[in-house]
Amino acid sequence: MKLLNRLREGNLRDWGASFWEQSSPTKRKVIATSLIGFAALAPFMGFGLLDTPVSDYGAVLVYPVGMFILMALGLNIVVGKSGLLDLGYVAFFAIGAYTMAILGTRTSLNTWEIMPIGIALAMLAGLILGLPALRLRGDYLAIVTLGFGEIVRISALNTREIGGPNGIANVPVPPSIGPIKFSLNDQKAFFWVVLIMILLTIWMIRRLSVRRAGRAWEAIRQDEDVAELMGVHTLKYKLWSFSLGAAVGGAAGVLYASKTLFIAPEMFTLNVSILILACVVFGGMGNIWGVVLGAAILAYLPERIRFISDARLLVFGLALVITMNFRPDGLLPRKKREKAIVKSTQDGI
Amino acid sequence: MYNVLFVYLAMAVLISIDTIRRDRIQKGKDQERYVQERTLLGQKTKRVLLELKNLTITFGGVTALNAVNLKIYQGEILALIGPNGAGKTTVFNVVTGVYRATSGEVLLNEQSLDGMKRHHITKIGIARTFQNIRLFGDMTALENVITGTDVHKRSGLLGGLFGMPRARREEKAGRVKAHEILQFIGIDEYSDRLARNLPYGVQRRLEIARALGTNPQLLLLDEPAAGFNPAEKVELANTIKKIRDAGYTVLLIEHDMSLIMGISDRVAVLDFGQKIADDLPSVVQNDKRVIEAYLGVPADAS
Repeated sequence: MKLLNRLREGNLRDWGASFWEQSSPTKRKVIATSLIGFAALAPFMGFGLLDTPVSDYGAVLVYPVGMFILMALGLNIVVGKSGLLDLGYVAFFAIGAYTMAILGTRTSLNTWEIMPIGIALAMLAGLILGLPALRLRGDYLAIVTLGFGEIVRISALNTREIGGPNGIANVPVPPSIGPIKFSLNDQKAFFWVVLIMILLTIWMIRRLSVRRAGRAWEAIRQDEDVAELMGVHTLKYKLWSFSLGAAVGGAAGVLYASKTLFIAPEMFTLNVSILILACVVFGGMGNIWGVVLGAAILAYLPERIRFISDARLLVFGLALVITMNFRPDGLLPRKKREKAIVKSTQDGI
Repeated sequence: MYNVLFVYLAMAVLISIDTIRRDRIQKGKDQERYVQERTLLGQKTKRVLLELKNLTITFGGVTALNAVNLKIYQGEILALIGPNGAGKTTVFNVVTGVYRATSGEVLLNEQSLDGMKRHHITKIGIARTFQNIRLFGDMTALENVITGTDVHKRSGLLGGLFGMPRARREEKAGRVKAHEILQFIGIDEYSDRLARNLPYGVQRRLEIARALGTNPQLLLLDEPAAGFNPAEKVELANTIKKIRDAGYTVLLIEHDMSLIMGISDRVAVLDFGQKIADDLPSVVQNDKRVIEAYLGVPADAS
């Protein structure tokens, strides 16, 4: 009941944050380890209510759930942190996937060796897109990024060397790490890799948020002109934001190609971009845990209700509309609570 | 498997070599700057900090500033006054790089600001506040000021991400400095509160604190006393004097005459984009053209 009240007041996030702040370091370690452990055990929980009746539960955990969380976190750097509306995020995912597919089928490099290359190429693409596009603002930027997403997809569609509409088949799975083997039948190993990537991304965002880069992004999001007049090199930090987001998308793409074994241009449509953006907005822009929760729900829900087939998207859309009506800022919105207010200020006002 | 490790290792080595190299170069630059600053201290004479030379700005057919010449000396408070629409804020916007001069130029320490990026102008020493408060509302007061101090930090995003020693050092120093500035302005007790929840007067002063965070040579205040009651105005006047005495140069736009006459070392008057007076406050007060600009010309005089 108390929790429900908190939900209604909309400060569940603040409550969580202050709980975290008041905890001792050992308590924090225990909580963090058990949360990560719990997440790592997720592949074994595929029974009862959680199971997905039609799709394979283990596969659903990797794609879409894990991948969506990863990509939503990446897009959150761009949209949530720095306030740049990017509607072509799928392009970076596609670039990562195609890097993996091309290098994996034509050279002897394995997934782990291709990973840095894929990330680097995605970041480069982010720079190439960002340099001209980031001089625009708001809606204009959104339109240019949307165009970029389509350009990447259509280029892939019309380039015969990389399979054209047929895509690339027989992408190799990652080589096994010690006793952990990667195979299509048992996707636990993939899930764990995604989990590690998610944790790394969260670490990166949390770390940058309280440092110069985070402040620069926050300033740009709130008032770009003032940020620049206060000495923030806005173009530089917007480019960083873009390419870090792209890096996460590229990493997700590499792993995705290595997991599905086959990729084609039709997997990288505008729909994916919009869906990832929906995850970010639905969960709560700018708040890591909100984005994780939003992406997990939006990725899992359609698979969970797959048995109602035709009405599936209708129910999904309805759920979205209802939630956004009750919580317009997302499930767990960005809301910085104020730390303990000093007494003297209370007297002063 | 080992290939991968090797690639990662090589990347790590390359990054650290680059960091060390950059550190060395920076040390050399620091030395140079130290010597320069010492020489500046040695010069006791009144030095021109900012100079507007024949500055003209037109928007379409409207001439906002018409051949304005103005010198601001190191360590003074110069008030810029004039009726509404005289071009005062336009001067601020040109100096900070928001507008480009149609002709003429702006010189800081005899260096032309023409074509310089806005954030670069801030970095070389000009900071401003805004007529309508424009703080970063979702940040705490402290973070607002730290954002100002960030401009002189040399560690970038990667340094912060990987916790390089210099980044940690600078982060800590920025925090300490921000607290110092908040104390200096007298609002340190609000440091952990969100800027948008602060009382109006504190917000106005926080804007000054944020600008001071960039460690400017020249501080531009755009109507800092707007909306203040008389007691607050007195307090603000003291703060501005304190800022001047701490070695900053202040260019001030204000409408409150008692405030201006009380603290300014010099007053410049703009009317319809032209400078009509530039002298000691007591002289300007009795200047015939200034009185005409403010009160209008008697009918029989024209």
